[in-house]
Amino acid sequence: MSNVIVNRVKEFLKNYPPFSFLTSTSLEEVAKAVDIKFYGEGEMLFERGEPAQDCFFILKEGSVSLYDLKEGRENIIEVCDEGDVFGVLALLGKRPYILNAKASEDALVYAVPVAIFEKLVQENSRVSLYFAAGFASGQVVIRNDLSQSQKARSVFNQGSEDNGLLIFTGQSDFNYSKEVLTCPESTGIQEAAFLMSKKGVGSIVIVNEHRHPLGILTDKDLRNRLVAAGLPYETPVVQLMSTPVMTKSPSADFSDLYLTMVKNRLHHLIFTEDGSSKSPVTGILSDHDILLSQGNSPAVLINALMNTWEVPAMAKIRNRAEYLLKYYLENEVSMDFVANIVSEINDIIIQKAVQISQKKLEELYPTIPAVKFCFVSLGSEGREEQLLRTDLDNALIFEDVPEAEFQSTQQYFLDLGAEVIEILLSCGFHPCPAKMMANNPKWCQPISIWKKYFSDWILTPNQEALMNATIFFDFRAIYGQKQLVQTLTDHIYNEIKGKSIFLNFLAKNALLNPPPLGFFRNFILEKSGEQKDKFDIKLRAMMPLADIARILVLSHKVVGINNTFKRFEKLAELEPNHEELLREAGKAYEILMRVRAIEGLKSQNSGRFISPENIGKLQRQLLKNTFYPIDELQKIIRVRYQLDYFGS
Amino acid sequence: MGWLDFIFKKKDKAEFVQLYEEYSKEIIPAQRPISQLSFIVLDTETTGLNPEKAEMVSFGAVKITRSKIQVESAKEHYFDTSAKNQEALKVHGILYPQNPTKPEVFAKELLPFLHNHILVGHHIGFDLKVLGKFLAPFGLKKITNPVLDTQYLATRLEKGYHYDVGMGKPGEYTLDSLCERYGIQLDDRHTAAGDAFLTAQLLLKLLKKAEKIGIADYRTLMR
Repeated sequence: MSNVIVNRVKEFLKNYPPFSFLTSTSLEEVAKAVDIKFYGEGEMLFERGEPAQDCFFILKEGSVSLYDLKEGRENIIEVCDEGDVFGVLALLGKRPYILNAKASEDALVYAVPVAIFEKLVQENSRVSLYFAAGFASGQVVIRNDLSQSQKARSVFNQGSEDNGLLIFTGQSDFNYSKEVLTCPESTGIQEAAFLMSKKGVGSIVIVNEHRHPLGILTDKDLRNRLVAAGLPYETPVVQLMSTPVMTKSPSADFSDLYLTMVKNRLHHLIFTEDGSSKSPVTGILSDHDILLSQGNSPAVLINALMNTWEVPAMAKIRNRAEYLLKYYLENEVSMDFVANIVSEINDIIIQKAVQISQKKLEELYPTIPAVKFCFVSLGSEGREEQLLRTDLDNALIFEDVPEAEFQSTQQYFLDLGAEVIEILLSCGFHPCPAKMMANNPKWCQPISIWKKYFSDWILTPNQEALMNATIFFDFRAIYGQKQLVQTLTDHIYNEIKGKSIFLNFLAKNALLNPPPLGFFRNFILEKSGEQKDKFDIKLRAMMPLADIARILVLSHKVVGINNTFKRFEKLAELEPNHEELLREAGKAYEILMRVRAIEGLKSQNSGRFISPENIGKLQRQLLKNTFYPIDELQKIIRVRYQLDYFGS
Repeated sequence: MGWLDFIFKKKDKAEFVQLYEEYSKEIIPAQRPISQLSFIVLDTETTGLNPEKAEMVSFGAVKITRSKIQVESAKEHYFDTSAKNQEALKVHGILYPQNPTKPEVFAKELLPFLHNHILVGHHIGFDLKVLGKFLAPFGLKKITNPVLDTQYLATRLEKGYHYDVGMGKPGEYTLDSLCERYGIQLDDRHTAAGDAFLTAQLLLKLLKKAEKIGIADYRTLMR
């Protein structure tokens, strides 16, 4: 059904290329998917280094200028006019923006989702040609009219030649490795791997006797072309390397280098003396170098977070962190490191959110209760395992107060909680569907009530208590009086000491989820509903491991280790007879976290549901291997807590 | 069923109405920033100006989330009207609607669409009365969503809280003159969806203006 609003958008789009090349039906599909946004004068649409949004833009009204910063001053590269298309880097494999875009007048902008457009680009050769031409010339703006474009450029880009790349001006500041690990073509694969591991690098360049580059071999090739293909370790490198290689001269423009990598989907670009492949290797530029040159290192992000009090800026930094996360996952950086960095960033955001909220409430509340409190994270964030911005689980503990002051005190902390939650939602986190959040009166309580909650759960472990236990026992202090959390931890261990039966209940609960593999070693898939035929990686694989780690940690009275994989490592020390299994469980959990995060980033959701047929044979095998420790551990738990004799 | 029930036969409440009422219980936190609020901008065209008698001829609406108009969410419906009201339709130039939507189909689609969003319109009071009457046969007592009138918002931003539109120049705050003042092109005027689209664009601009003077969250926006 066509309707007036869609038609209105369509009428506008059809006047401007590349939309003018589309058939009426395709155009309608695009028009329907458009989001319309208004930017006030001076407002930023995107900033250099930010990950590309999932849309590109066409200007409907007003004006938008694209600029970079030169010695702190805005250097305008393009001014977009009605009908101009910009932000198109989103179409190229989601690379970060290379310019800043600001509304130089009030601007109404149509955002066209990349997903829908990509499909059309493939269908319509004229559209793809149009974009290809734009990209080839390195344009950031796809002009609707060429003569106008020439004009605009001569006005705004005086002095610079019109044939160069406009994205970057001049030599940019980037570092690349000048020391390149190389080996002759006769090298065997195992020796090459040995050299890489000795040097601690992820790639090796294969050269001929004149040091001219012949090909490149990366970590990924070892996995995909050697191990997965089941080839012998004696295979010569020349058989597995990627060849021919792209080469450039290190004196080339950064924009040229960048676009070459983007267009060819390269992770490494090799520098040679004269830029051709018939000259000696002088350096190598990796994805990672580019990432750093755009200011996307953890240190830079954390520093930026510490220095801002603006919620929108915090949201942007969190988005950048996601880009970093994606890079880490693709390059198999250790999960310990990744989880640490992301948790640190999340923690700082929460700490900032609490401080910002406190400041805001100072103005609204005539008297702030002088009561100590602690903001705690629960669930996966409590375990420092929340890589993606999935559901928020948190709570607030405050000191005991005289009864007369209870109501006003709780009201203040509830308001504080509500402010914090709103800030976190603005930063892209999702609300907890079960409302386990600090703005819920039930979970915003004085320490004595919290003690009572935990005592109740431990003494009467009914179904609800056990469900709560799996979330609340993973609490972690984020901001405020850490002593309150310590008090609560002490209380819990005291209560459990006399009531070991609680652990039996908890253990029984942990075994409720059957092992993830069926009788024929097939994945157990969801049988119905929206996620039919998908594998629930959280419920079937991660929760059983997290649950078991929690029980064992509680039984050993371990304090202060929240990560499931670190818990397993600690447990391996404590239980030498199961050391190997426990270590494997920890490794399995790391793999599961990685698989889930990659899936989540790929499909822009929580990554919880995975289609086994979509993940490739190797990944599938990897997943299956992680299930083995689950099975074994469940057996141990069953025996240890005598669950076969334990009435239900 | 007792005989009393038979005499005072209660209007059956359709399932989707119950669901709507369930959702409406959720309150929007006062602290929620404007950029995180969801709005449904709507408009109706009717056979007359008296909401008690007028029949709904067409309905148009579009959703705004995260400060973006979601074109995909756009709705446009036309309805059959009784013969005696057909005369009035000539104003709108829609004499015999093609593909009219059945009231039940409309109600089933509309209520889940409205769930917990802020309803926005120009003179929205009138539209809500018309809609309320239209939905009553399905057991809906009241449309309980929070409501924001763009005419009220515009006067509040330009003249302050206590300004009385009646005191100003006539026509100063009609949709036409506001669109002109805020540089919004008048397209498809006097179709429900067209007007809803114009109002949505107006709302985006008004909200931006509001944020500049410190109206930043739900509490201050709805005051």
